[in-house]
Amino acid sequence: MATEDARYRQSSQYQLWSFSPTRLAAMRDKTNAAARARIAERLSSLPALSNNTSAPTSSANTPNADGSSTPALPEFLTPPEEAQLVTFFTSELLRAGDHAEMSDDIKATAAAFFRRFYVTNSIMTYPPQEMLFVALFFGCKAEGTFVSIAEFGKTFDREHPEDILAGEFLLCQGLRFAIDVKHPFRALRGATMELATLPDIDRNRLAAAEHRAREVLRFSPLITDAYFHYTPSQIMLAALSLADRGLTERLMTQTFHHVAPPPDNSGADTPASSGPDGPAPATKRGPPRGSEDKAQIIGPHIRDQVLGTIEACRNLLARELPERREHWSDRAVLKAQVTPLRKKLSKCRDPDRWNLVELQRVRREQAAKRADSEEADPAPPGAAAANNTAAGDGTVFGDALAPREVKRRRVLDDPFGGPL
Amino acid sequence: MAVSPLVAPATSSPFKRQPSAVPSSNGNGTPRLLQNSNNNNSNNNNRPAPNSNNTLPMTLDPIEQLNEDEKRKYVKGKKLGEGTYANVYLGHARHDPSVLVAIKKIKVQQQYQDGMAPDAVRELKYLRELHHPNIISLVSVFSSKDQNLNLVLEYLPLGDLEMLIRDVDRVRYGAGDIKAWMGMLARAVWFCHDNFVLHRDIKPNNLLIAADGEVKLADFGLARAFADPGRRMTANVITRWYRPPELLFGARHYSGAVDVWSVGMVFAELIIRAPFLAGNTEVEQIALICKQIGTPTEDNWPGVTQLREYTVPTDVVAVWGKEAYMGRFGAVGADGVDLLVKTVALDPKKRITAREMLEHRWWRTDPKPTRKEDLPRKSSGGEEKMAADLKRRPGIVEEEARGAKVARKLDFGQSK
Ligand SMILES: Nc1ncnc2c1ncn2[C@@H]1O[C@H](COP(=O)(O)OP(=O)(O)OP(=O)(O)O)[C@@H](O)[C@H]1O
Ligand SMILES: [Mg+2]
Repeated sequence: MATEDARYRQSSQYQLWSFSPTRLAAMRDKTNAAARARIAERLSSLPALSNNTSAPTSSANTPNADGSSTPALPEFLTPPEEAQLVTFFTSELLRAGDHAEMSDDIKATAAAFFRRFYVTNSIMTYPPQEMLFVALFFGCKAEGTFVSIAEFGKTFDREHPEDILAGEFLLCQGLRFAIDVKHPFRALRGATMELATLPDIDRNRLAAAEHRAREVLRFSPLITDAYFHYTPSQIMLAALSLADRGLTERLMTQTFHHVAPPPDNSGADTPASSGPDGPAPATKRGPPRGSEDKAQIIGPHIRDQVLGTIEACRNLLARELPERREHWSDRAVLKAQVTPLRKKLSKCRDPDRWNLVELQRVRREQAAKRADSEEADPAPPGAAAANNTAAGDGTVFGDALAPREVKRRRVLDDPFGGPL
Repeated sequence: MAVSPLVAPATSSPFKRQPSAVPSSNGNGTPRLLQNSNNNNSNNNNRPAPNSNNTLPMTLDPIEQLNEDEKRKYVKGKKLGEGTYANVYLGHARHDPSVLVAIKKIKVQQQYQDGMAPDAVRELKYLRELHHPNIISLVSVFSSKDQNLNLVLEYLPLGDLEMLIRDVDRVRYGAGDIKAWMGMLARAVWFCHDNFVLHRDIKPNNLLIAADGEVKLADFGLARAFADPGRRMTANVITRWYRPPELLFGARHYSGAVDVWSVGMVFAELIIRAPFLAGNTEVEQIALICKQIGTPTEDNWPGVTQLREYTVPTDVVAVWGKEAYMGRFGAVGADGVDLLVKTVALDPKKRITAREMLEHRWWRTDPKPTRKEDLPRKSSGGEEKMAADLKRRPGIVEEEARGAKVARKLDFGQSK
């Protein structure tokens, strides 16, 4: 377990995509605020013939008495409303994945992609209904299933499946090119096998627990923030405990039985103590992250803490048990909770970002122009200005990839130890 | 408002655990990327078109800005080389020209019309996660013009193991050197397997050498995660000369043992300074394995005759024992030969694992592995000379390159 945790801390899932609830909420607030500001700016700079709202009222663009045009700003989604919609669209994504009979890994990876993307991008900026297909398509690839876009489109009866390709690169960028997602499925198999070795475990009970836990893993962690807050094995244990608390306690007892008293292993933990926060400039990362996140992810030695963590994860999963699949496609629920938000969304979405195909075309054009100008001049005009923007917006992401990756880590588990 | 993205169930799904039909990847039946502006109106006419008349300059979102910043950190220099799916350029950090990097720019592939190419996806996925001194490290990623993917890799200036092996006239090396190189290779492979990653293209020219002599496993364009038990994989991986018998026989279930075989082939090649089993076709490759190592039979490999493409020459050769290798491979001593023989066990179940390789006694016996600073380096005679030398050996380099390409191309359409 200790080895697994040390390994996990090197993963991009931990380094880039693990946050405490406080930190995650702060990032989402920031994303929401930034999107509002940008969309407001873009909407008001539009010529007032507004096809940017899907339900323009006859009065919206009528000149005022004083003759000036007032493109009234729409009401924006609040962060909780965005969260609600992301959850709804995640359930749609999972339904689409079921429909296409995709594997558990593909669906889970796609769901994680989708939710990660919308941490630093607002649902008002990029269209969730499109991005969920992009996430599914790229999720297939990330899990090693390379299916043609035509075939993919056929499965979903899409008339222009190649539109999905327009969002692929955008998604990748939003994921910060970290496309490996670690899931709890394998851990569940391992746990079940370990339990099966115990003398007094009833086979049927164990099989039922594994079955139910798997059902939970296929839905609950994917549609909540579990992947942001907990490790795969914590999620697995939480799911197993939802399925059969008694069995999970047996497993925990078993695990702690094997774990030696907290080894004060100064050497073995070196990379951890320099951790993801290690080489990073202190200013770039908010204070909540380091201590809080580590508390949740390190520390299998301290039984109570582990139990507390698993309990917390369990409570999170319990909010979206597999039975909630029906909830998210129930007409009455949709009408009451989702449709109003989608209406609202349709009025406040980003006019420059909503059409992914067009966006890609424009981006390519721009890139071509930039590349031309860069060839002529090593420091492209506007670079300085661009950097200013980054100082404001860029902090939404922790650190850039480079500083951490360049640094070589001592490798813990090489049985060779030091050099040959 | 339609709330469901779903339509009537398709009859067969291409995403199932065991895809029955291999989707075409070479454009047959795959519409080319259409001119976007044409299809987008008909597609969804309530999507507002961006204000395309005044699109320039369109402000950048945080992710786009981050990408611009990342890209601007590096200055791209001369071209270092060209692979099947990428061009590689020398680069340096803008803030400090002494920090060198290799920028691997993924080519836009004509035959792959489905977005980011499989090789690029795989390389990105695995290099992003694997941090080990003997695995090439990914420093950064950014996109350039036309949404080309650029992988910023550590710069490895001392060529690759193939160059050293081939430059018989000017590069001399001995058992201690081989032990050092093999040790680094074994660790890299162990680390991949310990992280549930199969490399699937281990060969001397994918083993690059850092300025300090450290060997780094590179080119993860064919890598994949270990499959769940029962799940099928493509047999069409690994450059032919390094491909194990189970893949040549079309096995769809395999393990880290495939990489271990390749390690064995590299080991043999380091010793004899020529590819050990250089078949021109798959059939020839199998024949060579049968002749030089032994014929796979039910006796030495239970179940082998059940593999889809199992065919062997009629005159069965008994598996050679250690002694038989001593003449040709004795330079690494009896312990070295023992390790070699274990890596080329015909039955993948009996083949030594990467971890067991690291525990082998050869590493601990004399001669000690050479310190990496003291390892032989490619001769400073210049790369042009080197390239010319390689060309003078007909069949060797060219044939190998072709093998790699074939494996790549056919792999596109496969699930994993
Ligand atoms: N990190 C690096 N440092 C220095 N040179 C490099 C680096 N990576 C690649 N190269 C050079 O660029 C060439 C192309 O590399 P790449 O890995 O794309 O293709 P390849 O392995 O030669 O061919 P293929 O893709 O067919 O296997 C290499 O042969 C090597 O000379
Ligand atoms: Mg290569």
